[in-house]
This record gives sequence, structure tokens and C-alpha cells, in this order.
Amino acid sequence: MKYFTYIFRNARRNPIRTFLTIASTGICLFLMMILLAFFDMREDATKANRVFNRIITMNATGFAGMVPIGRVPEVSRMEGVLAASPYGWFGGKYHDETMPFAQFSVDADSVFKILNEFRVPDSQLADFKANKDGAAIGRRLASDRGLKIGDPLPLKGDLYPVDMDLTVRAIYDGPSNRNLRMCLFHYEYLDEALKKVTMSSAYGGSLATDSARTSGNAGMIFIKCKNADVMPSLSKKIDDLYRNSEFPTRTQTEEAFGKMFSDMLGDLQNAIYGIGAAVVVSLLFVAGNAMAIAMRERTSEVAILKAIGFSKGRVLFLVLTEAILVAGLGGALGSLGCKALCDVVDVAKYSAGFLPVFYVPWRIALLGLVVSLFVGFASGVVPALLAANSSVINGLRKVV
Amino acid sequence: MEAKGYSFMRQTSSIVLRSVYKEYRRDEFVIPVLADLDLEVAEGEYLALMGPSGSGKTTLLNLVAGLDRSTKGEVTVHGQVLGHLSEAEVTRWRANNVGFIFQTYNLIPVLTAFENVELPLLLTSLSRRKRREHVMTALRIVGLEKREHHYPRQLSGGQEQRVAIARAIVTDPYLLVADEPTGDLDRTTAGEILDLLELLNREFQKTIVMVTHDPLAAARASRVLHLDKGRLVDEVIQETRVSIAS
Ligand SMILES: Nc1ncnc2c1ncn2[C@@H]1O[C@H](COP(=O)(O)OP(=O)(O)OP(=O)(O)O)[C@@H](O)[C@H]1O
Ligand SMILES: [Mg+2]
Repeated sequence: MKYFTYIFRNARRNPIRTFLTIASTGICLFLMMILLAFFDMREDATKANRVFNRIITMNATGFAGMVPIGRVPEVSRMEGVLAASPYGWFGGKYHDETMPFAQFSVDADSVFKILNEFRVPDSQLADFKANKDGAAIGRRLASDRGLKIGDPLPLKGDLYPVDMDLTVRAIYDGPSNRNLRMCLFHYEYLDEALKKVTMSSAYGGSLATDSARTSGNAGMIFIKCKNADVMPSLSKKIDDLYRNSEFPTRTQTEEAFGKMFSDMLGDLQNAIYGIGAAVVVSLLFVAGNAMAIAMRERTSEVAILKAIGFSKGRVLFLVLTEAILVAGLGGALGSLGCKALCDVVDVAKYSAGFLPVFYVPWRIALLGLVVSLFVGFASGVVPALLAANSSVINGLRKVV
Repeated sequence: MEAKGYSFMRQTSSIVLRSVYKEYRRDEFVIPVLADLDLEVAEGEYLALMGPSGSGKTTLLNLVAGLDRSTKGEVTVHGQVLGHLSEAEVTRWRANNVGFIFQTYNLIPVLTAFENVELPLLLTSLSRRKRREHVMTALRIVGLEKREHHYPRQLSGGQEQRVAIARAIVTDPYLLVADEPTGDLDRTTAGEILDLLELLNREFQKTIVMVTHDPLAAARASRVLHLDKGRLVDEVIQETRVSIAS
């Protein structure tokens, strides 16, 4: 590219202005990558659940509602059910950290039949089942916190009025796109603790009225089905069975369950996309303005180029390439930099189980790069057209 | 760049202006600049244009160089009627036929002397090596081959103007136009630049049209024309050329 020297030197001409354009494009793209990747990961994680033939039963009124524990054995006896387990979100603090990772109260005997993508060494699984205060934790959680088998894992109740003093008995592993940061512990252990509190506060404590936070609540029921075909009829059967009870249920596939969370974000997601688009547009003005100022300073130079025989098209090309180069550089730093950073730093760690993994997929990084090239093009097009169509003789007159 | 084997003083007309009228329009104002101008410049001639400020010298130069179009009348350069060319064509024509020299040198500040001179060659299909050869030849002619890596700000005014001249001749154009090429220079440096232009005219047979306010500069030309209010007033044919530098 014989014009590259000239384009590059022009871009470097006012280093501060160029730096500011690169930096604003870079920061913008960086944030955009995080947002896009976040929603993408969320969607992927939800979709990935499709293959496991699992359904989830919860109280029809929402998470806070009660699902009586007695229903777990009822459901597990149903035709087409391989295994069922209570599944209660504990949401405790770990060393004063609020929502440090996902914690569920489960049935130790069946939970790994349901979450069968996870592998647990036999002896550890047996230990986990045998110890009421045992916890099975994900490999990533273990390595994040430096936890080994036998280590204490105290969880302070936040939603619940009880603390869980757990001991790590098993460390499960599994595919890297699954949540390897969960802490699973015995439902019975939580329930017994809750029974004590319920009894002592039965004299008028507020807890007595909060049925969902008392003993006998499974939270949700996590159900492994024989195959995908039985899932719709099974869901209907469960909900029909409890429709006229005190606690009607809502049963849906694991995928739909995950999507429910995403849908709660839905409006927010649209708002964020809107803000993102607005930011790109304002970025366009910033970059366009910088380029326009640069070109105004070069009016006579452009006239010289045209005088010595540079065509309109070539001038257009030179200016556009410069604008694309600057914005593209910012975009590359922002999007690829973000990707590289997320590959090194595991952001999923800080999502409290909301995302099993977090990285910026190539697809999104490249989209970011394309967006920045577009910003470069769009910001350069007006100054470039002005330069290409500027009058040579007026440009030359300006010199003196 | 080699001197072409011209027969001395061939009388073919290189530049012909026929009843050229030029006006500028600014909103409803019409500013007539050149009125009914006829002019012939022979091939290999060195023409100096003089006249008071605002008399239309630059305007005339721009017409001859294909930078601007006449309102009426015909401008023919080297057999080409410029009015018949489209804007893109006249741009290409300039690249091949005209070299420009300005009062303020107008080098590109971010490019070295070498790169500035190379600029017009980027428009050709010449290889990198060929381009280098041509640039170095041009720089040698103006005596600046040792300054190829210098940026304009590292050069004196006279050196900058010589780089500009190298840029003007690197494509071996047929016509050189110079608008007050010594206007910003001291007497001695101006003399050197004028020597160079004379060399280009004599040794390389370049047809030169130069606008100047300086009678000593005009004295170097083979013919001097005076413009006043858009009209050619009298004509002075130099019998002998005087050289200030020698
Ligand atoms: N683009 C333009 N629009 C309007 N008027 C113009 C334009 N260019 C030149 N003129 C007018 O045309 C006239 C001649 O201008 P020109 O630049 O040719 O004069 P000049 O002889 O070169 O003067 P100087 O010696 O000061 O350079 C002037 O009155 C000038 O104001
Ligand atoms: Mg002038």
C-alpha cells in the first residue's frame, strides 16, 4: 500500500486528538463487548440446558412460594421421571460476602442423577451422602476459594434465619460451560435447623407467617425425565395434580426456567441496547468532529494533492482510510482487548452463579471490530466528501 | 529525466488562449477578472507574468494549468483543449503534464523531502524502485539528494522551494507553472531558485509560465507580459537574459 505512509503520518499528526478518538472508541467497544457477551452467554447457558431433559417445578406464585417437601417423592414416583430432588436457593453469605456463589439445598442421593453432566469420585459421593453437614462443590469454586475435601464451609443465612456450617465432602467436575461454582448441601440439614427456629419463634415471631422460609419447603423440585418427549405431559400432569391445592405449582423445562430470568432482564436488555446504540451514535459525532477539524487544518494540503493530480476518489479514499484506521485501532483495542482480558480474568466468578462461564466469543469480538470500522467509515464520510469536493483554487488561495 | 532533442526555438505554440473571458460569481455579484484575452506561448518558452495585485495573474495561471475553467473562450495546451476534458480527465491531464511551484512551497509537512517528491509518482504505475530512481534524479537536479530524509521543517525556505521544484519536475511534465516562486525568499536564495528554473527551461526544455512581482526575476524569462485589470497591456521580449546569480 503505497499511500500507507502518508495516511499513517496524517493519523499521527495530532497525537492527542488521535489518542482521544482511539481511547473513546476503545472504551466504548470494551463496554459494548461486555454487554453483548453477557446477554449472549446468558442465552447460550439457557439453550444448553435443553439436552438434559430436566424440568423444574416451582410455586405458581413465584420463587418465594412454598412447594411442600412431600411432593418430591410423589413426583419421583411418576411415570417418566428418573429422579427428583428438592432444590432450594439458600443465598447465604460466605465470610460476609453477599451472594458469593450459588447454594442449593438438595437431596444428596438423587441430585447427581439429575445433574448427570457432573462427575464426582465415588468415594467422595459416598462421603457427601453419608454426612448430613456435607457439601458438594464445583471444581471452579474449590479453586477460587482454595477449598479442599474436609475444609469447613460456613454459610451465614441471609434469606434464612439459620446458618449452615458445612464441610466440603465432594468436589464435582464437568463440562466447562456448566456451572462449576455451585455449592450443594443436604436439604435435611437446612430443614432441621429451620424446625428448631420455627419452634422457638412460634410464640409470635414473624417467621411463622413466612411459610416459604420455614421447614418443609422444597423450594423447587428439580426433575430428571426419561426423555424429552415426556416433558410436556409430565409438566402438565404435575401442575394439574396440585392445581386445587393450597400451593399450586408451575412446572417448566430447565431451558424455559432459565429464560424466565433472562426475560426479567428483557426490558433492561432493550434499554441497554438503546443506550449502546446512542453511545455509538455519539461516538460517531466525536470521531467525525475530530476528523472534520483535522481536514479543515489540511485544506491547502488537500488542494495541493488535487492540483498535482490526485482524483476526488483518491482523496476520498485517503481521508476515509485514515478515519477507519483510527477508529478501527480503537475498536480492535476495545473489542479484542476485552476478549483477551476476559480470557485471562474469569468474570463469571463475580456473577453469583448467574453465568456459568463468561468470555467474549469471537463472533462478538469481530462484530465489535466491524462496528468500530463502521464508526470510522461513518465518521470519515462527511469530512472525506467535503475534502474530495473542495475547490482546488480556493484551497490554494487559503495558503497565503 | 533527459533533455529531449528539441530543435532550437521551435515555433509551435504550446499554449494558446483565444478570447478568454473569466469571471467569478459570488452570490449575485459578478467579478470579471480576465477580459477577452488572447495569448500564445511557444514550446520551450519561459514566460513571466507581471502586474499589480488583483490584476488576474494567478487566475490566468490557473486557467493555463488546468486548475480552473474559463467562463468563455478556449484554452489549448500542447494541443489539448482543456474545456473538452471532464473534471476527472483534466485532473489526470495535470498529473501528466503540469508541474506546480508555489510561493509558499506547499510541501506536505508530515512527509520527508523524498516522500514529498514521490507523491506525484504514487499516481503512476511505476514500481517502488523506479519511483526511487526518479525521485533521486529530481532531488539531484535541485541539489538536495543528501536531504532526502529531512522533513520540511528541517529545511530552509530555499531548500523547501527546491524540494517543491523537484516535486514539480519528477513526473517530467511538459509545463511548469510558478506563482511568485521567489516571493518568500531573500535575494541570494531567490537567485538560486531562478537559476534552477532557467536550467529547467534551457537544459530540459520545460515550458515555464511564472508569475512574479520582482523585475529581476522577470528579467530571467524569455518574455514578460504585463496584466492590468484583466488585460494584457504591453509585451516585452527579452533579447538577452541577465543573470543575477552569476
Ligand atoms: N474564487 C474567487 N472568487 C471571487 N473572486 C476571486 C476569486 N479568485 C480571485 N478573485 C478575484 O479575482 C481578481 C484577480 O485575482 P488573482 O488572484 O488572479 O490576482 P493576482 O494578480 O494573482 O493578485 P496577487 O498579485 O495579489 O496574487 C481579484 O480581484 C480577486 O479578488
Ligand atoms: Mg496571485
